[in-house]
Amino acid sequence: MSSETQKILTTDGIPLEESLKKAEKKNKIKAFLLVCPLLLFLIITYVFPIGDMLFRSVDDRMVTNMLPKTYKAMEQWDGKELPEEEVFEAFYLDYKKLVEEKTFGKLATQLNYEKNGFKSILKKLKRKMKKFDEGNYKEQIMSVHKRWANVEYWRALKRRAPAYSYSKYLKGIDMYENEEGKIVQVPEDRRVHKILWLRTIEVAFFVTLFCFLMAYPIAHLLATLPMKYSNLLMICVLLPFWTSLLVRTASWMILLQQQGIVNDFFVWIGLVSDDNRPEMMYNKTGTYVAMTQILLPFMVLPLYSVMKTISPSLMRAGKSLGGTPFVAFWKIYFPLTIPGIGAGCLLVFILAIGYYITPALVGGASGTLISNQIAFHMKSTLDWSFASAMGLMLLAGVLAIYWVYNKLVGVDNIKLG
Amino acid sequence: MRKLSKLLLTITFALSITSSAFAVTVASWGGAYTESQKLGYGDPTAKKLGVDINWVDYSGGLSEIKAQKEAGAIVWDIIDVFAMDTITGCDEGLFVEFDFDKDFPAAPDGTPASKDFFTSMPSKCAVGNILYSWNYAYNSDNVKGTPKTIKDFFNTKKFPGKRAIYSSALTNLEIALAADGIKPGKGGAKIYKALETEKGVQRAMDKIKKLCTDPKGGCVFWSAGAQPPELLMSGEVVMATGWNGRFFNATVGEGAPIVQVWDGQGLDYEYFVLVKGGPDEANAKKALAEMTSTEGLAGSAKYIAYAPWRKSSIDVMKKGEPWYKDGKTNMVPHMPTAPSNTKNYFLVDPIFWADNGTELGEKWEAMKAGL
Repeated sequence: MSSETQKILTTDGIPLEESLKKAEKKNKIKAFLLVCPLLLFLIITYVFPIGDMLFRSVDDRMVTNMLPKTYKAMEQWDGKELPEEEVFEAFYLDYKKLVEEKTFGKLATQLNYEKNGFKSILKKLKRKMKKFDEGNYKEQIMSVHKRWANVEYWRALKRRAPAYSYSKYLKGIDMYENEEGKIVQVPEDRRVHKILWLRTIEVAFFVTLFCFLMAYPIAHLLATLPMKYSNLLMICVLLPFWTSLLVRTASWMILLQQQGIVNDFFVWIGLVSDDNRPEMMYNKTGTYVAMTQILLPFMVLPLYSVMKTISPSLMRAGKSLGGTPFVAFWKIYFPLTIPGIGAGCLLVFILAIGYYITPALVGGASGTLISNQIAFHMKSTLDWSFASAMGLMLLAGVLAIYWVYNKLVGVDNIKLG
Repeated sequence: MRKLSKLLLTITFALSITSSAFAVTVASWGGAYTESQKLGYGDPTAKKLGVDINWVDYSGGLSEIKAQKEAGAIVWDIIDVFAMDTITGCDEGLFVEFDFDKDFPAAPDGTPASKDFFTSMPSKCAVGNILYSWNYAYNSDNVKGTPKTIKDFFNTKKFPGKRAIYSSALTNLEIALAADGIKPGKGGAKIYKALETEKGVQRAMDKIKKLCTDPKGGCVFWSAGAQPPELLMSGEVVMATGWNGRFFNATVGEGAPIVQVWDGQGLDYEYFVLVKGGPDEANAKKALAEMTSTEGLAGSAKYIAYAPWRKSSIDVMKKGEPWYKDGKTNMVPHMPTAPSNTKNYFLVDPIFWADNGTELGEKWEAMKAGL
């Protein structure tokens, strides 16, 4: 028997299998077209910008292409003493070309990121260079400014030689690669990023903890109260949620300051004396209070939606089987709320780790977080590649936490509602 | 019906073209400041040239304009920026370089523009707008005695209470050294010379640290210009550094018991820049020349206590006194350039900060983190 006879044909003579495939293909295309806008949206708003950020953070071709002769001449230099005349000459020729093309400003900006003080000596060099004689460039360049005779500046120049580099990531954790290729810490009085990272994590952790401690009873109350009261309570939770973030932060400032309402109240009831009012703002206390209040709804809502589905009869069953109220709660109720806890904690933690305005306004000296530093480099120094590197480090941190959470609890156990 | 909708479409399109093609967009800081610019020279210029001038608010920095350029959709023509930003933006090729005396009108007496401005520009892309000052003020209700010098700002024994200082290193290091006994010298040259060395920076940081950790003192860091007068009025701090226009506004405009001290203060400038490849570069250039003319700059000083950049504008103000909008306040004595206010001051050095800003910023944050 040949296979021909086995094939079932449709009425117009096409094999059924083929016809079905065709129909399925059509459906597949339709389905794809339906998700296409979303896919495009994700690519445009998510994949592309993050890819761009990643590329920006390692791309250093601009400086490499601006100083081709210099970097060629520098290949032989060991970075210990000042470089030889040929390096100076190559640098002079490269820089002269940049001045003619009027692009030297970009080089000055880039090199100033690497080592502060480059900007002015490059500009000074540009002014003096016009009167340079031929030959002996080393001496002539060094006579422009004493920093040109400082080997640190030439080392900084060499560090920018590779077209792609991870040095921005090292800078993000207060490290750099020295002339011997070893990765070392920057001087102690400049180690600021590590402090900021630790502080950011600390603040995010405690805010999450406080949110959890406060939201759990509220969500429980919301889920168990009769509709009449729970609706009112729900509005109380949501009302601040609908109020502008800035307004809420400003209100906390009015409440918490030393001459503020809370302190006035404490003095009035005799808790503290008038000339010894506690400081509740411009320090971590203020940051914790304001951020906890602002992020609280993000914890309450997932918890509530999970608690709502837990049948009250389960607790009753637990108690009737001989458990104390606490045992019944711990063994039955609490495990059932874990998906909500996971969702709420992740949500609050991730929001808190990137928080920016509130700590800047109420945080005082100990209030700046890593996001403020990223904003500083975005807005003031325009060092977008460093800002990108720190942004990606923050993203990697969040993903790491997500991964740990997945290992410990399982992402399937997250429930947002 | 179809015809009507087509007509409507054409009209809206035509309108959108006219409103965008013949309007100059200026980005500035908002609030009372933009108001003074709009009333002082924006509206008169618009009327004179017959172009619309749109004012949009922004919060400083060059990130927006850089993003606009990278996206290929520049929407701003003129930006009101800090000195440091004129240097960075000029280096990045974001702004138009000026041929100063050709692009800007001479003073009424014929002095060329470059001679009429108080000092030279920090970069070729900048044209002066206002001069303002970073000085300190106190609430006379909460301070016993009268602080007179910059040393008193750091003297917690004589004047106990918290101080409000700017949240980043800019001007804080300078006033710390001025209070620590370094005479600013001409334009503050001696202060900046000291800050070029590690020792000088350390000295300034230590001074600030001492003030902030002093149990009788303590620091609150402000970041928005409206904060210092507010902190003083609420009694949260007894003294605060801040911008003189804001203090003036609180004292004269609102009658608050705030007194400014003119000693060891930092004179700073605000500039305009012209965006390269902006939507209406030709008109923007004309408008900018008009706005920064003698009459134009004098006009904004009617509404806020910031000094015009041109020397010849001061004469216009003197002739017109009382110049303030309430019709009874003489403005010239309140200007940061008035002779009685400039006995001991330094000029904030944008080149120094463009050079060392990031490194000092890191040290500053590290110091703050250890408080």
